[in-house]
Formats: sequence, C-alpha cells, structure tokens
Amino acid sequence: MPIKSYLAHPHDGQKERLIEELSALKECDVLPSQNKEVIVLVTDTEDEDREKILKQKLEAISSLKLLAMVSGFNTPQNN
Amino acid sequence: MRKRLGIISLFVLLFITFIAVWNYSYYEGLEEAYVPVEKDKELPVIPSEIGVFQRSQYALEYANMAVDEKYQRSLSTYYDNRAFYGAPPSIPHDVENERNMGENSCLKCHENGGFAEKFNAYAPVTPHPEMINCRQCHVPQQSQTVFKGSNFEKGTIPLVGVNSALEGGPPAIPHQLQLRENCLACHAGPSAPKEIRVTHPERINCRQCHVPNDKETKETGIFNRANPHEQ
Amino acid sequence: MYTSISNRRDFIKKMAQLSAITAAATMFPGILFAEEQEEGLPKGGNLDWKKAPCRFCGVGCGVLVGVEEGKAVAVKGDPASSVNKGLCCVKGYHSVMALYGKDRLTKPLVKKNGRYVETSMDEALDLIASKMKETIKDHGKDAVSIYGSGQWTIPDGYAASKLFKGCIGTNNVEANARLCMASAVTGFLTSFGLDEPMGCYEDIDYADVFVLWGNNMAEMHPVLFSRLLDQRLKRGVKIIDFATRTTRTSMAADKSILFLPQTDLAVANAICYEIIKNGWVNETFVKKHCNFSKGLTNMGYGLEDKYKFKDKPEAISFEAFKTFLEDYTPEKVEKISGVSARDIKYMAAYYGDPNKKVMSLWCMGPNQHSRGTWMNNLIYNIHLLTGKISTPGNSPFSLTGQPSACGTVREVGTLTHKLPHGVVMKKEHREFAAKIWDVPVENIDPKPTYHTVEMFRALDRGDIRFMWIQVTNPMVTIPKLKRYRDAAKKEGRFIVVSDIYPTPTTDIADVILPSAMWVEREGMYGNSERRTQYFEQMVQPPGEAMSDTWQLIEVAKRMGFEKQFYYKEETHVEEIYTEYRKHHDNKKHNMAPLQVLKENPGMQWPYVDGKPTKWRFNSKYDPACSNGEEFHFYGKPDGKAIIWQRPYEPAAESPDSEYPFWLNTGRVVEHWHTGSMTRRIPVLHRAMPHAYVELNPGDAKRMQIRTGDKVKLTTRRGEIVLPASVNERGVPAPMQVFVPFFDESMLINDITLDSFCPISKEPDYKKCAVKVEKA
Repeated sequence: MPIKSYLAHPHDGQKERLIEELSALKECDVLPSQNKEVIVLVTDTEDEDREKILKQKLEAISSLKLLAMVSGFNTPQNN
Repeated sequence: MRKRLGIISLFVLLFITFIAVWNYSYYEGLEEAYVPVEKDKELPVIPSEIGVFQRSQYALEYANMAVDEKYQRSLSTYYDNRAFYGAPPSIPHDVENERNMGENSCLKCHENGGFAEKFNAYAPVTPHPEMINCRQCHVPQQSQTVFKGSNFEKGTIPLVGVNSALEGGPPAIPHQLQLRENCLACHAGPSAPKEIRVTHPERINCRQCHVPNDKETKETGIFNRANPHEQ
Repeated sequence: MYTSISNRRDFIKKMAQLSAITAAATMFPGILFAEEQEEGLPKGGNLDWKKAPCRFCGVGCGVLVGVEEGKAVAVKGDPASSVNKGLCCVKGYHSVMALYGKDRLTKPLVKKNGRYVETSMDEALDLIASKMKETIKDHGKDAVSIYGSGQWTIPDGYAASKLFKGCIGTNNVEANARLCMASAVTGFLTSFGLDEPMGCYEDIDYADVFVLWGNNMAEMHPVLFSRLLDQRLKRGVKIIDFATRTTRTSMAADKSILFLPQTDLAVANAICYEIIKNGWVNETFVKKHCNFSKGLTNMGYGLEDKYKFKDKPEAISFEAFKTFLEDYTPEKVEKISGVSARDIKYMAAYYGDPNKKVMSLWCMGPNQHSRGTWMNNLIYNIHLLTGKISTPGNSPFSLTGQPSACGTVREVGTLTHKLPHGVVMKKEHREFAAKIWDVPVENIDPKPTYHTVEMFRALDRGDIRFMWIQVTNPMVTIPKLKRYRDAAKKEGRFIVVSDIYPTPTTDIADVILPSAMWVEREGMYGNSERRTQYFEQMVQPPGEAMSDTWQLIEVAKRMGFEKQFYYKEETHVEEIYTEYRKHHDNKKHNMAPLQVLKENPGMQWPYVDGKPTKWRFNSKYDPACSNGEEFHFYGKPDGKAIIWQRPYEPAAESPDSEYPFWLNTGRVVEHWHTGSMTRRIPVLHRAMPHAYVELNPGDAKRMQIRTGDKVKLTTRRGEIVLPASVNERGVPAPMQVFVPFFDESMLINDITLDSFCPISKEPDYKKCAVKVEKA
C-alpha cells in the first residue's frame, strides 16, 4: 500500500490547470501553496502495480514541469 | 662648581617631577581599576509565568523535528502511569541507585529527553528540572500486585479535541499549571504524547492564545451582571 | 493543536503531507498552505470566511470570521495579513462570542420615573433629537456634548464630528482615546508636527534590539510580541524590558530593568547624556534635521477645575542642551530611579552602537503619565540624537490600545481641538472642513472646549447638560470615578448611552440605545501602523440594534441637518468614507480608496500613486519628502524635527507615611478594557474571573497576606477591597501594588487620581499613593 508525497512544480502560469488535473485522479490528494508556485501532492495506491500505473498517468500531465518525491511509506495492511 | 650644582639640582628637580608624575599616574591607575561594587538587584521570578518561556530556545528545533511514530507515546499510556489526572507519574523503569534522590541520575535523560536505547523509548522531559529531589514524588513500580484492593477511582480525564470554545479556536488548558508551567516540556518533542503534541512550538508565548479553564479550583461559571436593567 | 488521527493510513498520509510541506518550506521561505491554518476545521462545512480587522486592540490583526447560517461561529487569523500573519491572541480567537452574550441590548430603553421602559427606535431617536434641541435652546450649544471612543469606526467618528463641530457648532467632541493616546499625539506633534508613527510593524523584522518602555507587550500586544519572539529565534535579537513591575514580558525578555515610578524621565535623559558623552551622536543627522527647544516646567498636574496650560516653546542651542543634561549623569540618575548606572549605560550603549538597529516600543507606560508628552519627546530625543529613525529597523514606535484610536480619534480628529484635517484654531483649516461639510464656516467654533476629564467636570458643574456616550464605558474608566458618577446622576443632566450590553455606564443613562457591533455592520478601523482596514457586514444585529453611524445620522436628520446628512442607508458607509478622504487629499496623508481597502488586508496611508508609505520622512520611501535630502521632517515649517529639553519632575501624588504604597493599574491578556465584551466570553471569564491586587511577595509576607486574602486599598479618594494575588500574573516592586481595571464590581478607578499631563490632558492611571491593609 504505497503512500508517497511529492512537491509538484507547474510550468509557468499553469498552476491552476495542474491543480485541476491532479485533483482529477482519485489516488491524489492535492494541497496547493497559496503564495508560491508549488503544490504538495500525496498519492495513495492499493499496491505496487497500481502505483506504477499512477506514475505513468502523472508523467503524462503536460502542465507538470517537475515532480520531486519527498517521502514514501509502504504500509503492510490496509487499516 | 656652580655648573655642577646646577646640573645636580636639575637632576633633583627632574627626579622629583618623575616621582610626582609617577605617583599621580599610579593613583590614577588605581582609581581606574577600582570598580564600585554594585549589588545585583535581584529580579523577582514569577513561577507561573516564567515556565511558558523555558525551553523556548529549542522551539525551532521542535518545529522542524520529524515525528518518530514508531516510538511516540499516546495519552492512554501517559495516563496509565499516573494514579489520577494530575498525579506525579511513577517511574516505569529500574532506577540506577536507590540511595540517590534523583538529581543528575534522572536529569541526564529527563532534562532534555532523547532516545534511550535501553528502554526503546524517548525519555519524557520534566517541566520542572530545578526540583532535584525527584524521588520525593516519583517512585518506581517494584511490584505489579497490590496489598489490598482499592475503591479509588481515577476520576475523569479531560479529552483531547473538546477544549475549544469555537471550531478551530485555540483549546483551553484543561489542567492546573502548578509544576507544569513549562508547556513545551510535555507538548513538544518526540516524547510528547501524540494527541497533545503542539503543531506550532515556535510560537513560544503559548498563553497568549491558550488560557486555563480551571484557574479557580471551583467552577467559575459565566459572567452575569449583578444589576441588569430591570424593565 | 495536534489532531488525533485514528486511522493509521490517514495518519501516514498526513505524515507524508507534512514532510512535503516541511520540504517546501525550506525551499520557499514564507510559503503558505491554507490547510495548515484551517487544520481542525471541518472540511467542506458551510463556513463562509470573511475578512475583518480584529474587534479588540490597536495592533489591528487581520482575522477571518467563519459565518454559518447567518451566525458568526469561528475565527482564525488571516494568513494574508502582514500584521499578524495568521496568528491571533486568545481574545481575537474568541471575539465572535462577544456578539452573543445573553444580556445583549436589543431594544431602546428610556428611563421613566426611575424605571427603564422599552420603546421603539424611532421614539428614542425623536426623544434624543428634541432633548438636544431643547438643551441648546436653554443652555447654549456648548451644553451638549458627545463622548466616543477609539472603538468608533471611521464613519462613526466622522458623523459625530460633522454633526457636532460642523452642524451644531460646538467643539464638545471627545473620545476615550484622550485617556490612552493623547500623550502620544502631543508627543508626535511637538517633536515632528505630524501625528502617528513614522515606521511600521515591518521594523520588527529588521531591528536588532527592542527596548520596551513600560510596556507589558506579552499580555497587551501579544501578537506583535510573538513577532519579536519569532525574530529572536531566527536572528537572536535582544529584548529589553524596562518597567516598574515584573510581568510575563520580563520573564520572556533577555534583560529586565526595573525603575521607580515616574523616573523614566530621568533615565531617558541619562541615556541622552551617555550618548553625547561617548560621542555616539549622529552629528550630520542632528545638524541637518534637528532643532533644539525647551518648554515651560513645573506645569502642575491639572487637579483643579478649569486648569489651563499652554506651553511656550523656546529654541535653544545644542550646547545649552548638553549643559542641561549635566544633571542627568547615570550616577545621579541612579539615585533617583533605582536603576543602576551600569544598566543605564547598557541601554545607552545599544542606542549608541551605530551597528545596531533599535526599536523602542511603548504604550500606556509613557502615555498615561503626568508628564506623558515629555516622556514621548524624550524617547524621540534618543532616536533623533543617534539618527535611528524612519529607516527599516530604527523606529520609535508608539503602540495603541484600541482598534481605531488612530483611524478614528486621531485621523478623523474626534477631540475638542481637532478637525479631520488640522485644528479648529486655524482659520484655513476651518474653511477647508466647512467646504467639505457643506456648512457655513462660522459654524465651526475656533475655540476648543473641554478635554475628557474637564468635560466630565463640566457635567458635574452643570456647564454641560446633555452627553451622548458611544462605544465606551466611562463609568468604569474615568479616574476619581465617584465624583463623575455622582455628576452624571445629578438633576438636569441628560445622558444617552449607545452600547451593546448593560454596563455601569448604561446604569446612569436616561436613554439606552442598542448598538450594532463590529461585523454586524459595515465600517473601517485604523491601527497603530497607519493601516486602514475595512470590514463588511457579515451578520444581522440583534433586535433593533443599529450602528452608531446610523444612530447619529438619524438624529442629525431629526435636528434639521438633512442637507449635510444626505447619505442613503444602503450606501452610507461608502459615501461617508469617500467624503472623508477629501479631507486628507494630499501626499502627506492620502487614504486608499474604498475598493483598495476591500481587496487588501488593509492599506497604510499616506497612499500615494497606488502605493502605501511604510516609512515616512525618509525620501527613499516617502513621496512627500521634498527637500532633496535623505530625510525630511515636513511636519515642521523648516523641515526639522525637534529635540526637546524636558526635565524630570515628580508625580502628582507620591507615597508618604500615611499612604505608603504606589498604586498602578492596567490590563490582563484575557480582558479588553472594561471587560464588557470579554467577560461575556465564557473562556475568558473562566480564565480571569475577577480583579485582584498584586503585592510584592516581601510586602505580602510582612503583612501576612496570602493569595486570595481580602486586602483593603485606601487612597485620598476612597477605599476598595480586593482579593490579593502574590506571585501570580505579575510581581510589583516592593511598596507598590497593581490592580487590573476590567472588573466592574471592583472599580479601582473609584480611588485613582485624576491628575493629567498638562500638555496632552491624558490622566496618569499608573501612579497615586495608597494605603494597603489586610481586610
């Protein structure tokens, strides 16, 4: 059950679009900064495979300039 | 002869001048070196107030400290260790020396906390490190059995998350402050029970937002004007 | 507070999020995440967050009020406000609860045969208007008066001033800010010729040393004090507490220095002496930008009725100033003040060090002082001599106590001698105001009438017959209270009180009007750093409660001033503000347009070319500077600030064998002023349920008094019994006692002295002689 957090940097002027696109994914929790061009992203997936799929989806987002992972957890059971 | 006398008297004069100047500067020097002894005026210390600011030098460190979830305490284990709400906690581990009143044996871990490998836990920080006869209040648990049963009830323990007057408002302090004036000791750092760990230790002046709700030992009630306008 | 998370998965997600926020914070200092502030609030609730300045003190924190189904239910700090950056104090966090006290006044009450009878608003307003007209006819226009406060919004004060000064033609307009800010005003006017601080709160981010002059900031301006503490953690700044009493601020400060009451005058002069003696004077600054003056001395204390004083300034040379300071060597001052010469030199060394930026902060200590104007002058002297002024971090900063003491009383000018722009004594100022007010210029009386204490004395004498009191509680706050309470109850006096709760002041009223409070109406406040903040109406006022502005407009219309009070009910606040701005339409004071106020967490004046001015008198920041130099003190005709020669003089009443203690009064963090609002907030009342008398532990031991014991305080004015407090919130010096004034059932002002600063007419609540006995 991987849980990871990232700092997502949008392309210039595309912060709003990035927020929308990330929020559209159900595995993603989005916390945008109010005053800086950066978004905190927390992902939560069922297993490694789904994590890989999500990863691909994220990479496909065009408004995303850079995604930097901050921390990752893997919980043994889902409670 | 006159010439010689003249020279001698000149030397004598010079010598006298030298002595005089030397003497003068010697005394001047003494005066400079003399520092009047000023007695340091002792400032009163307000026990109920000073604690708030103690340990504040670590506040930024607390704020940036990662949380070690594996070893964090919770309120229930915190209260397990106390006979009632507000009682001095007992010592849940062996003590180094039975003849010792506490002092540095206790303070070496409990003054600033830190991970104690021996007990696999973070040492709780004492809010009153200046009281060094630890063992007058804190006793170890040598036995798990009781002499006779007791009817003593622990009383109600204040809950977390119910002490705010408004949603999102700062919670009031649900406990007495005596011996617990230093907020950060228990509410910050890795040994703080997770439910009562403060999210903003860097704010320091805790009691500008958090006020006690049981200042008087009896219920204060709400403010009612003595003479409302009769209609 | 840490939220308890039961689900482990959620917990880990929270942890992951937190570590990302922490990482972001190291990359982008000052980054803000809304959710951090909103933690603990239910997400997606029906809360509607609207911005307002806090209702309470003069710091002017930006708050967001959560409104749900027409009720204000929560408060949080506004992270977008540069004043408080998302933090509040305990009063601010619970401020909305002050709207919902059970005994809120909702209907007008009129006293008939000793009983209060409910009436309609129309009837009450008719009665007030007719009573005013009748009083003017029988006793002249100077027999009617209005007494407001620094909690008046800008439109309230403006309507009051326009009605009384412009339409009725009496200068009987005063406000309780006379009791807290008048010395700051006269200090600014005498030293710089223009009111209000040159610097701003941002100075805190640059200063290296903070000297708090008789200012218990940890309790009275807690949110600003947090900014000091924050700077100490980040930059290691020094906080010096210079006070007469040991307080929470002393406990937090790096150094605490105690002085004997009133001797701050001597210590400030000694600091100047040291600065000059050690060659720390900024010669070029002083030569270019400063003049030296002296005024009259031995001015008296205003204790007698109809006391008059007018200072006679006289220019002096720097040499003469130096000679004057010979009497204030640290060694000599040590004997007067009880502050060791070493400590005086310690403070002087910080002020003198060219590499240290120093911010002086003060509030009621130097202001409520029988030589308050002098004390303000003296602090400016130190900053002027060293040239540490009007630059980021070098700032003598006079704090205020009320949300709009600056915005309304000082800027709108609701004091007897003031007009929104200028003073009544000057013809061109009267003409300017009369034109905007649309009144004949002869209407504005060129002679100031009564300052606050004298106004209540005039009520006692019968010179004033009608008084309208709005948003303040003088029957708790006037010094030597008993005389003025009896005065108000005399036959032939008519008192109108507009308030939100019954108070000792409504007890003496003939008509009580229920007022709409804070976010129940629309308005603006102006805080200590020249920041004007707008708030919209968020909730409905209870019953027939009406804003103070609209009450005044209704009465004005009934008195026949429809032409001047043309405002429409829906838009009157905007109309008034737009009209008011015309008074300040110049580079030195321009106010931001309403739209700008609505869009921003406040805006500082002078607002010139779409930009606020953070540091006045400094040509780098202030477009009003026009002399081509680095600094321009344009408030004075020759562009130079004045360094005043002000000696030490004793207080009006000092302890003697019969009354051997000093009595000091003040506030506590939980309560605001007379507690009429904060005591109705259960959290605050429980935390601080009643007043007390603080004793020094040594005195208490000698007199065998313990905390909670009843203690009798006796002065020449009367006596009062209070519970003792030893070693609790504060510790007074030996032979001094302290009593907070918030408690209406223990009215300490019954026994305080009504001496005042002859220049500012602000009473000295901090000093009188008292006898202390175990009751």
